Amino acid sequence: MDDHIERKPAKIRLREIAEKATQDAWEAKLRGEKVGWCASNFPQEITTTLGIPVVFPENHAAGVAAKGGGQRMCEYAESMGYSSDLCSYSRISFAYAALKECPELNIPQPDFLLCCNNICNCMIKWYENLAVELDIPLLLIDIPHLDAFPCDEDRIRYIRAQFDDCIRKLEELTGKKWDEERFKEVMAISQRSSRAWLKAVSYAQYTPSPYSGFDIFNNMAVAVVARGTVEAAEAFEQLAEEYEENVKNGVSTFKAEEKYRVLFEGIACWANLSYTFKTLKNLGINVTATVYGPAFSFLYDNLDELMAAYSYVPNCNVFERELELRVNDAIRHKVDGAIFHINRSCKHWSGTLYEMERQLREKAGIPTVVFDGDQADPRVFSEAQYLTRIEALVEIMEENKRKGARK
Amino acid sequence: MRDGAEIIGAAVIPVGTGTSGPARAMEAALKDAGLTQADMDVTAATGYGRNTLSEAGHVFSELSCHARGAYWLFPGVRTVLDIGGQDAKALSVLPGGKLGGFVMNDKCAAGTGRFLEVMARILDIDLDTLSRLDLESQECVEISSTCTVFAESEVISQLSKGTKPEDLAAAISRAVAFRGCGLLRRLGLTEPLFMTGGVARHGGVVRAIEAELKIPVHTDQRAQLAGAIGAALMAYDKITREGE
Amino acid sequence: MNRMEELLRAFRNIADNPKAQLEKYRAEGKKAVGCMLYFCPEELVYAAGMIPFGLWGARTQAVEAKRYLPAFICSVLQTTLELGIRGAYDGLEAVMIPILCDSLKGMDGNWRYSVPHIPVIPVAHAQNRKTEAGVAFTASQYRKVKARLEEIAGRAITDADIRDAVSVYNARRAVMRRFLELCARKPGLLKPSERNAVFKSSCFMDVREHAGMVSELVALMEEAPAGEFKGPKIVTSGIMADHPNLLQILDDLGYAVVDDEVTHESLRFRADVPETEDPIEGMARQVGNIEGCSVLFDPEKNRGKMLVDLAKKSGADGVLLVLTKFCDPEEYDYVPIKRMLDAAGIPAIQVEIDQQTAENAQTLTALETFRGILGY
Repeated sequence: MDDHIERKPAKIRLREIAEKATQDAWEAKLRGEKVGWCASNFPQEITTTLGIPVVFPENHAAGVAAKGGGQRMCEYAESMGYSSDLCSYSRISFAYAALKECPELNIPQPDFLLCCNNICNCMIKWYENLAVELDIPLLLIDIPHLDAFPCDEDRIRYIRAQFDDCIRKLEELTGKKWDEERFKEVMAISQRSSRAWLKAVSYAQYTPSPYSGFDIFNNMAVAVVARGTVEAAEAFEQLAEEYEENVKNGVSTFKAEEKYRVLFEGIACWANLSYTFKTLKNLGINVTATVYGPAFSFLYDNLDELMAAYSYVPNCNVFERELELRVNDAIRHKVDGAIFHINRSCKHWSGTLYEMERQLREKAGIPTVVFDGDQADPRVFSEAQYLTRIEALVEIMEENKRKGARK
Repeated sequence: MRDGAEIIGAAVIPVGTGTSGPARAMEAALKDAGLTQADMDVTAATGYGRNTLSEAGHVFSELSCHARGAYWLFPGVRTVLDIGGQDAKALSVLPGGKLGGFVMNDKCAAGTGRFLEVMARILDIDLDTLSRLDLESQECVEISSTCTVFAESEVISQLSKGTKPEDLAAAISRAVAFRGCGLLRRLGLTEPLFMTGGVARHGGVVRAIEAELKIPVHTDQRAQLAGAIGAALMAYDKITREGE
Repeated sequence: MNRMEELLRAFRNIADNPKAQLEKYRAEGKKAVGCMLYFCPEELVYAAGMIPFGLWGARTQAVEAKRYLPAFICSVLQTTLELGIRGAYDGLEAVMIPILCDSLKGMDGNWRYSVPHIPVIPVAHAQNRKTEAGVAFTASQYRKVKARLEEIAGRAITDADIRDAVSVYNARRAVMRRFLELCARKPGLLKPSERNAVFKSSCFMDVREHAGMVSELVALMEEAPAGEFKGPKIVTSGIMADHPNLLQILDDLGYAVVDDEVTHESLRFRADVPETEDPIEGMARQVGNIEGCSVLFDPEKNRGKMLVDLAKKSGADGVLLVLTKFCDPEEYDYVPIKRMLDAAGIPAIQVEIDQQTAENAQTLTALETFRGILGY
């Protein structure tokens, strides 16, 4: 019966799920429940199982920047004494914690902090400062950067001990109780979401791709904030179905002729989203590969593998594994070139990209360009530089096509 | 200066230290006063290159000098914003004119006189014209780059799109003003605020700072001399104290 | 020149000539292993009969390193990689690279492709360093390091070897703490640049040799008359305060550095390794006892409390925060640390150092002005 009722498009459902996650946190806060600020790649199985409401300052900062508040909030943080050299997500967050509100987007203030440094150690410094500033507890799950692949036993043991310790501390802090059955359920749902996400993203292997690559930047918010929910799993499954339909019908959410397919390395320039996207679209460039596909595929068959999965997030792997993810994606998703965003805010990521660019170019046999930008601070991006570099890439990709066609 | 009370000769030569600049400035100032170096009871130097001026019997940090000079030009001042050719500083001044605290800009040309020079060149006008052009601005345009080189390309792009020079002039003033306001906020601003340094003569920047902070920005035609005034006063203090 | 002056010159000579030191040890048939900042298990290197060499960058320009690192990565790592690429570190058997900061995390990959002939020994420390699980993790990683060092040295490292190394290193730490205490008690006896050399030279010496020289210096400092120091007394804080231009300015302006909370200086010597039955476990515990460093997890900002304490106990007039340009952990710490200093009424300023820049005119201005503010 329900099959014939019109479903909302997956991207609308996903947006609503993300909004609802924040709304739920607001309602919990108003009820007097403790709400946490949580790192994007903190093991969400813990908070979801315990039923603890959390919001994500990284997503908040990205949203603020996308709506035009990035510069103002960064400047406020700088007036507090924070260097403009620091990650712009954290600067926006410090400003928000001080100002308590922001016209672009609001999330409830935190009663505790959940930090995980698998993506970077700046997370630790950011959260340390919030803890001291707001005088609230901070729990850290330290995931030491890998020096090999797969993750070793010692790291798994250490991560597991912190995982368990965190659960105990959160029980004390919030009064909520851990339930093993609920945990099993959450793990199952999380994996269902991860698989569905991976599947949806993988449709970019078709030519033309059934979706605009920049959509990933929006859709992945749910992979961060609601991965352990049935709603998210269903929405991702629907997304995959829609893409499958698109492939069958030869259509795409990329509303231009897909002349070139690229791998986009790095996070979006949230404060310059429109320009960065339109420039590509006007040149017929669709993004068909990003690291955010595999990034949110937390797949595990047992607890040890769960712990290891959280060490496989981008920026936590050993160089060769990071490179392999990109090379595999570039080849599988048939890209013609790659665009590297040297993100001024992210030293960790940017500090490995020059060598990665060279090796990707060689191993995937594709041309590459780099441009300077920032994830949330619009002052570090130059439209002229971006356009020049992208146009240069197009010239090479076009030439390669001509050569390829002549064969 | 005479007796720590009046300026009898002054000169500003816009070249860097390590050139003929300092000598020419001293010669011009002495000529303006109708005196010679031999007539001086004491000579002091401040600013970059202060340690290489052979005539200087005393050397003072320009932060203390700007605070002192600003206080002389505007008694009762509590905060000084000094934006010069290549750096910017915010100073907090204690009652009496002593320096309380300070914040300096990041090592970078954006937000200093250099930025304005570069922009004037791109707009193909002189600095004086640039300093008044913002008054004709009708539309609010933004130059957001923190890097002077990026900002250059922003301005060029805007010009090629047909953006009016007066609107860009206003945007350029705002860009410099915002950097200065950033320093003031980091320092903690107490009114009254007085601006010194060459950029104090750039009306557009002063207007933009007033608009941003919503407080009056005081300055003086002689504001560019604040550092030199302060050094003269501090030198005068030294010899009169030693005389006692 | 008296004996103390001789010693201080010797420290400075060693500090300024690490390559000559390396060649000296190699000529003696010893092997050397590089240890990148901030903390490495040096005792294990020593236990294997080898000399650890501290790698903290150098006053030079990064040219080749720019193929790997964007301009906004700190100069310590830029110049370290540069020296590696240029062959300045040739002669080291291997290089230990910790993961204590984000830029270091990328060094493993960058080094292996740019300096392939000097193998990397990764060193992972637990950030939850005071918990049993954290200590166990750090210990497990130190055991992996030990295995690599055994291969390099061509011999086994026994627990007895490690216990002996710990004992020797603790003895050096103890004499360094006496040195710290004398610098505070007798300000002006050593110029800031001289005080720096005592720390810096430790990076390029056999621990016993260094401890011997410091012992002698400490005895001479003890004998020397206290004198009446009339200049400004400061405590420095940061990752490094080792920049020739900064030290020159501090010397010329007549500052005395009475104490420090600097990783390159005292922080490596304040906490002993507890002498436990399993010596590696003791080494791992020590990491949990180090305070005051911006790259070690510090949710209560003990760094700030420690700095306020140091300033008060040493009788300092003020604090000099030395910011290594582009250092994120330091930039994050600045805000709460400055607030704590302000609340305690301790005057403080921040200056920036950059190993790729010979001189920073702002530093001279700031330190001259600060001296005036402090009332000198």
